[in-house]
Amino acid sequence: MPYEALDFYDVDSLLTEEERMVRDMVRDFVDNDVLPKIEHACRDGVFPDEWRVTLGEMGVLGAPLKGYGCPGLSYTAYGVICRELERGDSGLRSFASVQGSLAMYPIWDFGSEEQKNYYLPKMTSGEWVGCFGLTEPDYGSNPGDMITKAEDKGDHFLINGAKMWITNGTIAQVAVVWAKLDGVIRGFIVEKGDEGFSAPEMKGKHSLKASVTSELVFQDCKIPKDRILPGVKGLRGPFSCLNNARFGISWGAIGAAQACFNSAREYSLSRIQFEHPIASYQLIQNKLSWMLREITKAQLLAYHLSQKKDSGEWIPEHISLAKMNNVDIALEIARVARDIHGANGILDEYPVMRHMANLESVKTYEGTHDIHNLILGRHITGIQAFTRGIN
Amino acid sequence: MTIAVLLKQVPDTTAKIAVSGGRVDQLSVSKWSTSPYDEYALEYALKLKEAGAGNLVAITCGPQRASKMLTDAAAVGADSMLHILADTSEMDSEQIQSILAAAIRHCEAEIVLCGKQAADTNSGSTGPGVASRIGAACVGMVSEVEVEGGSFSALRASSSGNERVSVSKPCLFTFDKAATELRRPNVKGIMMAKRKVIETVSPQDLGVEIGDSKVNIESQNSPPEKPPGQKFEGAESVPIVVLKLREEANVI
Ligand SMILES: Cc1cc2nc3c(=O)[nH]c(=O)nc-3n(C[C@H](O)[C@H](O)[C@H](O)COP(=O)(O)OP(=O)(O)OC[C@H]3O[C@@H](n4cnc5c(N)ncnc54)[C@H](O)[C@@H]3O)c2cc1C
Repeated sequence: MPYEALDFYDVDSLLTEEERMVRDMVRDFVDNDVLPKIEHACRDGVFPDEWRVTLGEMGVLGAPLKGYGCPGLSYTAYGVICRELERGDSGLRSFASVQGSLAMYPIWDFGSEEQKNYYLPKMTSGEWVGCFGLTEPDYGSNPGDMITKAEDKGDHFLINGAKMWITNGTIAQVAVVWAKLDGVIRGFIVEKGDEGFSAPEMKGKHSLKASVTSELVFQDCKIPKDRILPGVKGLRGPFSCLNNARFGISWGAIGAAQACFNSAREYSLSRIQFEHPIASYQLIQNKLSWMLREITKAQLLAYHLSQKKDSGEWIPEHISLAKMNNVDIALEIARVARDIHGANGILDEYPVMRHMANLESVKTYEGTHDIHNLILGRHITGIQAFTRGIN
Repeated sequence: MTIAVLLKQVPDTTAKIAVSGGRVDQLSVSKWSTSPYDEYALEYALKLKEAGAGNLVAITCGPQRASKMLTDAAAVGADSMLHILADTSEMDSEQIQSILAAAIRHCEAEIVLCGKQAADTNSGSTGPGVASRIGAACVGMVSEVEVEGGSFSALRASSSGNERVSVSKPCLFTFDKAATELRRPNVKGIMMAKRKVIETVSPQDLGVEIGDSKVNIESQNSPPEKPPGQKFEGAESVPIVVLKLREEANVI
């Protein structure tokens, strides 16, 4: 049976024709190229390289960026792309989020003309993969205290330090790395093969298995002077990237939730216990109607947020709310769907446990659920509660 | 030179079809798609265009909703689109053929590709009918077409294997399932499609007087429901199962 996305309020009817065509294109890719391969990719712990190629051919990488060969779509279209990709797998969506919002975006917004002309065409075509190095072993939610540093050596920069949990790290040609230069956070472009730079893969994940996660190690890493991003200083740099990626995640999570809902609905209609389909029992129906309710709310939230993003009338807190809410309900829906599938729910014949495990990462990266609570708490009260001592 | 591909919008092969008052209830169809054989025709029309055989025009005759197919065709590379806006649900094949033939003349197309039959009516008359009206050579049920100098060579199944047929223009090919992948659009194509304008005309605009349909569909009804499955257990039921497979299911 072809995929029929749950869309109770027909929210997709609000999309433009172009956005719907982009949706159908990505949906077709997920149905024909991703779903038949995803369980193998997860078992082997690899991101299939042909997905990179096809994402580039479809022209969806860096979706909302304009110029330099980039697609120039709306943020709404970017959201739709994320949703359709994550219906396949959060690892696939992560690849696209990192490439577009975390690696291409900072070059596009803060890079020099030369940097934009050099990197962006190669990245939107998928020829070059990018990664984003912010998190360090000792600094996750608190990146402002990072210890990776860059020194100006006259004719080059010298970078020392380590980044951890970096999506696409090992397969990337381009790493956008945030490091302190004279105590101020700056963005640097490090290329694969640069002296003193390595990106070993982290193994043993139970989540996002079809996504590459790596360490970035800088030991007297030497890069030319023209690899600093001239346009931004301080945490505003990485945080503006995160705003865009988080926006995409608020849509992406809906795709994972829709996949789990569909599987739970179908399974409950076909599974007979005590002589009747389990879908005929009120407890199951309660679960399904709760999923329908939460997915519908999440869709409206994401759609409205995307309109604000497209019109420019948004604040980061709007994105925090959508990211935390939509990932939260998607994870909960995946857990309940897993439950409805009984023992079958743990098999890779069904997508639910994979989505559930993936969403644990999605809840953690791009600002943990609770960090977004704290962002909203600060917005409501005017008091920051990230650390002790009111300031 | 102009290449034309004829596209028909049909209920998606997976869509549920409801019948009410002896007619298929069009409003109940949840999803409309391009008829599958037409998609192969489109794919080969694009290949011909890429091989330098000419510009490609995508043509459909149908209600407003059918224009989506034309936009989709533009997204994968059709240069122009012609929509003959008409309610085709009560038209007979002669009427449809005369409209399409006029449309092809209107576009001055000399190479025409279409599906061997539509997924809803399965009548298979459109291709040959249109070919005879425009005076084109008709090669039916092909799975491949190539341009070779001034002529076109098509592959079709014959009783003794495959047959390669060469024709010169004007010519029309009706497509069977082909051993090729259908292309997916990309974002650039989708954005270009948005800028292309669909030429929308009525049959009258093309100078076609369609007259009255000579065929009257008396009624349409759903296929009979499949009888429920039967279950047999144990070795003693083998003879009954064999009997049923032979006498009722006709499979052995
Ligand atoms: C699969 C995966 C891919 C990733 N990809 C990237 C990437 O590409 N680039 C990158 O830079 N990073 C990446 N990350 C890192 C991710 O952004 C961090 O894991 C995240 O920011 C959380 O940091 P942490 O893991 O150090 O947790 P911590 O910050 O140590 O948090 C641990 C727990 O403490 C809570 N906590 C922390 N501070 C507070 C507080 N003040 N008050 C209350 N609770 C608090 C958190 O909510 C969390 O529950 C990735 C992570 C994963 C799992």
